[in-house]
Amino acid sequence: MSVEHVLTTCPYCGTGCYFFLQVVDGRLVGVVPCKTDEISLGRLCIKGYNAHAFVQHPDRLKHPMIRIDGELKPVSWDDALGRFAEELRRIREKHGPDSIAILASAKCTNEDNYLFQKLARAVVGTNNVDHCARLCHASTVTGLLYSFGSGAMTNTVPEFEKADCILVTGSNTLEAHPLIGSRILRALDRGAKVIVIDPRDTPLSRLATIKLNQISGTDIAWINGMIKLIIDEGLYDEDFVNARTEAFEELKEAVKGYNLAKVESITGIPGQMLAEAARVYAKSKKAMVAYAMGVTQHSNGTDLVKALANLSMVTGHIGKESTGLNPLRGQCNVQGACDAGGLPNLFPGYQRVDDKSARAKFEAAWGVRLPEKPGLTLTCAIEEAAAGKLKAMVVFGENVMLSDPDLNHVEEALKKLELLVVADIFPTETIKFAHIVLPAACYAEKDGTFTSTDRAIRVLRKAVDPPGEALPDWQIACDIGRRLGSKGFEFSSSAQIMDEMASVTPIYAGIDHARADNTVLRWPCPAKDHPGTRILHTQKFTKGLGTFAPVHHSPPAEETSEDYPLILTTGRNLFQYHTGTMTRRSPKLEREAPEPYAEVNRADAKRLGVSDGERVMVSSRRGSIALKARVTERIIQGSIFIPFHYAEAAANRLTNAALDPDSKIPEFKVCAVRLEKA
Amino acid sequence: MSDLGKKLASIAFDELGADYLLAMREEHGNVAPVMLARGQDPGEIRLDVPYQLVNILSNIYPWLKDGKVAVVTRRCDEKALEEFFKRELFDPRRILKIGLACSKEQVAKCRCSDPVPAKTHIGEPQKAMEKDELSEKLMAMPPEERLRFWAYQFKKCNKCFACTLTCPVCFCDECILEEKTFVPEPGIPPGMSFHLIRAYHLADKCIECGECERSCPAEIPLLTLRKLLAKDVKEIFGFAPGDRKTVSPLLTVLEEGCNEC
Ligand code: SF4
Ligand code: SF4
Ligand code: SF4
Repeated sequence: MSVEHVLTTCPYCGTGCYFFLQVVDGRLVGVVPCKTDEISLGRLCIKGYNAHAFVQHPDRLKHPMIRIDGELKPVSWDDALGRFAEELRRIREKHGPDSIAILASAKCTNEDNYLFQKLARAVVGTNNVDHCARLCHASTVTGLLYSFGSGAMTNTVPEFEKADCILVTGSNTLEAHPLIGSRILRALDRGAKVIVIDPRDTPLSRLATIKLNQISGTDIAWINGMIKLIIDEGLYDEDFVNARTEAFEELKEAVKGYNLAKVESITGIPGQMLAEAARVYAKSKKAMVAYAMGVTQHSNGTDLVKALANLSMVTGHIGKESTGLNPLRGQCNVQGACDAGGLPNLFPGYQRVDDKSARAKFEAAWGVRLPEKPGLTLTCAIEEAAAGKLKAMVVFGENVMLSDPDLNHVEEALKKLELLVVADIFPTETIKFAHIVLPAACYAEKDGTFTSTDRAIRVLRKAVDPPGEALPDWQIACDIGRRLGSKGFEFSSSAQIMDEMASVTPIYAGIDHARADNTVLRWPCPAKDHPGTRILHTQKFTKGLGTFAPVHHSPPAEETSEDYPLILTTGRNLFQYHTGTMTRRSPKLEREAPEPYAEVNRADAKRLGVSDGERVMVSSRRGSIALKARVTERIIQGSIFIPFHYAEAAANRLTNAALDPDSKIPEFKVCAVRLEKA
Repeated sequence: MSDLGKKLASIAFDELGADYLLAMREEHGNVAPVMLARGQDPGEIRLDVPYQLVNILSNIYPWLKDGKVAVVTRRCDEKALEEFFKRELFDPRRILKIGLACSKEQVAKCRCSDPVPAKTHIGEPQKAMEKDELSEKLMAMPPEERLRFWAYQFKKCNKCFACTLTCPVCFCDECILEEKTFVPEPGIPPGMSFHLIRAYHLADKCIECGECERSCPAEIPLLTLRKLLAKDVKEIFGFAPGDRKTVSPLLTVLEEGCNEC
């Protein structure tokens, strides 16, 4: 009889709460919060409490499978991986290494992801490696690299509760990052001012000190309006601007035209209210900005992120305790997947693949020549597959057939591939198109690390054995690496992989499993005796001087028309997570939010003759879905909201694949639709 | 092995004759609940972090085929155990108590009026706290203001269900807080009914351990809410939970009713 409480990391959002998995004789029986954890403080959200529920679900993939005569048939690991290696080799010889793409995963560990990108670069010989960060925070990475030189949250989760002012935009924090929301509530209870700017009413905006609703896709206008007012009223931090930044004159010039009247006409935000919000933010001693996908998922997402960076620099609210610009990362390890190099233009630790010295370093470490041309992004890889140029895709733990924009198009692309290999924990929508399927271990079944949204290394500890023959992703990657003749995949534990990653990644140089086991380390952590870094940019910006970027409002890629008069914005709800593969198999979560719905403003509903709970058809230029209407005041007139979790009414059949030119992030937050009774 | 660990192991295994010991210890730079079998090294035992061990035990108990478990029990845990025994959910012969007298600090945090276990094995018994400041402040308010206070508090709720999941005496198999009939709001926050139904449901069971309040990510003063209700139940019915022999005056109203809804 054995009873264990295994300390591990929540597999859902990027907050990175620790909890204990309760295991009795190999059976997962529950989740217990960890009271001494500095992130969660012994609290969890409903997803955390139910994180054991899907692990031992009967639907888990248990055996490798190969598609034979149109059907997936169970085979041995040796057959599956043998076929995988053989096909990969054939396609590389025939079409060249750039005809192959590997998708890393924000749900896999740092160690897994390090090997995925090493597999692509050092074995296949291509930089075609990317993951779903492309769909959520790619514009954060490109925007903040430009402004600050580092694309991560500047401050940490615990600091929220000590701020005097928190400006939240494009983040439904209480639902998407509940335990960060909890810190914001603590600040609010203490008397801090919380400003929420969002096209939807959110549970947090209803508690906020100031709540403003802007029209979707008009954010740069209100941000520039705030900056202009702050400069005009002399509320900017002159010393900070002079000592720490460059291009202030360009910024001043760029925001000149954004007077309150003009901003109001673009955004719909009453000028005086915007002015008040600007003053509160600028005058507070410690002011933080938090944002999420409502900012990043636009076709001008990179500019939008730069605009927020301008705002935090002009007020000097950065580089100090409880200040800064804080992108809240959505998935448990989306930060780590980026850190580990799961990006087509960057090696681990944000070292550029087209930088000669960086490449020389990795060539020496891995003992092979490396490609210098940056690879395809996830969104471009789908394009190339549709055009018949990309022949093979290897997907680790992603469900592109539900998470990507314009699914009808994705489906066409996947069907054209000569080889689609998917490693996952459940049979997903993507697996329907796969030629080879590999069963993977989930978070509870392996050791490794995640990096949470605030750059903290969080440890995963194996609690139970994987089902059937499933294996941890890093073991799958090692095996395939060896089969393709590489010597660099001789690892016998995930700790050894982290050691190699640390040796080539300066921001992780001081990190190893033994240290992370009992202390919270945040990167940059450049040496074994370095305590890690809580606050970025304290003395100088990572790139030296912070750069103001003159950016301008531009209309979204797709505007409403007579046929498609409403703006659709997509997102999450509290109870479901992403494409639902885990949450929809957790009874308590599914029970709370079992079916797809579209939130429609009361006035719009009345005009269209739609009542609450009625079935409606929502169509865009790309497709239609049928679902229930939820009539509410939560959303402004002219807009509707649909969560993207549900395969039976997949919001991404409607969304637009219009891309931000710098980061290639798709515009999930704005597309034109029509709603009618079904 | 630390001194505290040695002492605890000797009480559990030598003095009480247990097969397992349920306590807390330091692991990975944190404090973890731990179930030790006889003969295992207890390691760095820590009793200063208030894990709700009775609730943790109730998760594991259905899978424990045999053996006696010694549990570190505060006074509130003793009362919770009594409620389990009363309902025949635990076999009293299999649960052994190691009495822990809470520290002065802990007593203050819980505003605890009953902090000393029947038999103290560990810790120094402390004086009870006579009053809960927030309760008094609220009762001195005009009703509308009190309502505003709670309305604001409940608006912060994000329906994590921690207040039911971590509560040792939430016994129903089917929780009516998950029913749309009783809590109709889609999404969060749930309406007032969520909190009021829960408060009433616990009126004759709550042993004031404070775990719901400690676990609430919205920091709603749930313990104060319970204390206010407990006071009424005591005054009106002369009843307080936490004793195997007494029967709740509300039993028929609440528990039987709840299985049917
Ligand atoms: S807040 Fe995020 S990390 Fe924490 S329990 Fe909830 S889903 Fe998990
Ligand atoms: S204080 Fe809260 S957790 Fe403890 S018994 Fe009462 S209701 Fe349950
Ligand atoms: S613990 Fe707090 S936030 Fe969670 S459901 Fe209960 S009252 Fe709501």
